Amino acid sequence: MKAKLFETARQLKQPPVEAAREFSAQLNKLAEAGNLIIAAREDLDRLVGEGNLSMAEDNNRNFARFMESMFLNYNPEIFTETVLWVFRAYRSHGFQTTYWAANLDIWVEMLKKEVTPDTYTALYPFYNWLIINVPIFTKLTDE
Amino acid sequence: MITDQLYEKYLSSLLEGERKACIRIVQELVDQQIDLKHLYTDLFQKSLYTVGELWEANRITVAREHLATAITEGLLNLAYPQVFQGEKTSGNIVISCTANEYHQVGGKMVADIFEMNGWNGYFLGANTPVDQLLSFVDEVNPDLVGLSLSIYFNSQSLQNCIEAINADFPSQDIIVGGQAFRWGGKDILKQYRSVDFISTLEDLEKQIKDA
Repeated sequence: MKAKLFETARQLKQPPVEAAREFSAQLNKLAEAGNLIIAAREDLDRLVGEGNLSMAEDNNRNFARFMESMFLNYNPEIFTETVLWVFRAYRSHGFQTTYWAANLDIWVEMLKKEVTPDTYTALYPFYNWLIINVPIFTKLTDE
Repeated sequence: MITDQLYEKYLSSLLEGERKACIRIVQELVDQQIDLKHLYTDLFQKSLYTVGELWEANRITVAREHLATAITEGLLNLAYPQVFQGEKTSGNIVISCTANEYHQVGGKMVADIFEMNGWNGYFLGANTPVDQLLSFVDEVNPDLVGLSLSIYFNSQSLQNCIEAINADFPSQDIIVGGQAFRWGGKDILKQYRSVDFISTLEDLEKQIKDA
């Protein structure tokens, strides 16, 4: 299962440097906007675990910077292993797998509105790969 | 010698925040003239990796993780009579964590390994702004600059730092290492002529001795 994950991750294409730079210029603003959106959800405690809002916010800021590092220097092994590490660590702290589905949807919607169509086209496959593989991340990080 | 039993006793004391017990164990090892590299890798580094894994599994809190790190940093000082003995004639090295990088124990250990091998080390600590690092390099004119990266998402800060050093000091040799590269990523360093990657403390010491 993990081998398949690596295989599909290797098919993702390094975004053009202009797209990566556009993301870099916006990432702090987008991370904070995303934090406001998720914090307003009524099911927040169920998604991230009670009292874990600041952990979720930190994770989201780190996620933005991590994606920047991938867009600038894509490495499928680091991408996959880091996502699995995050799933394992945050699930053990009470985050539900539905959190990632919700948060990734927020990122996709924000990017659709805030970056140019060319940049969106270059970056979306990475978010889509994360979204469609949530069940596999879940299986691989089940206790 | 660090037996499994001694390691478990140390780890348990570290997790309990029992600084005195940790000091006793480390001081005894230092008094027995343990090879300091073994002390660093087989006790300090190994236990901190375990502490990280315990946080990951939600078996300890962030506070306890920070406590263990702080105790370890203090324990490094117990080895200093040995670390700083002897002439420092091999060269000068400036070691720093990049901007936004707050995990400094690894960098501190690297600085000590250089000191043990006759180098004069300047360890600048965590989250050093690039302009401050450049000023310091200008001031001390080191033979080598070491940059530590623990979290891969700071790789852009690392690259900015390398590029700034290359621009101001084109002949400056640089080494890079850290946990950020545990799953790969050292390829990003290949584009820089003056940068070498060091994967472990053992490799570091071997390279220092072979140089």
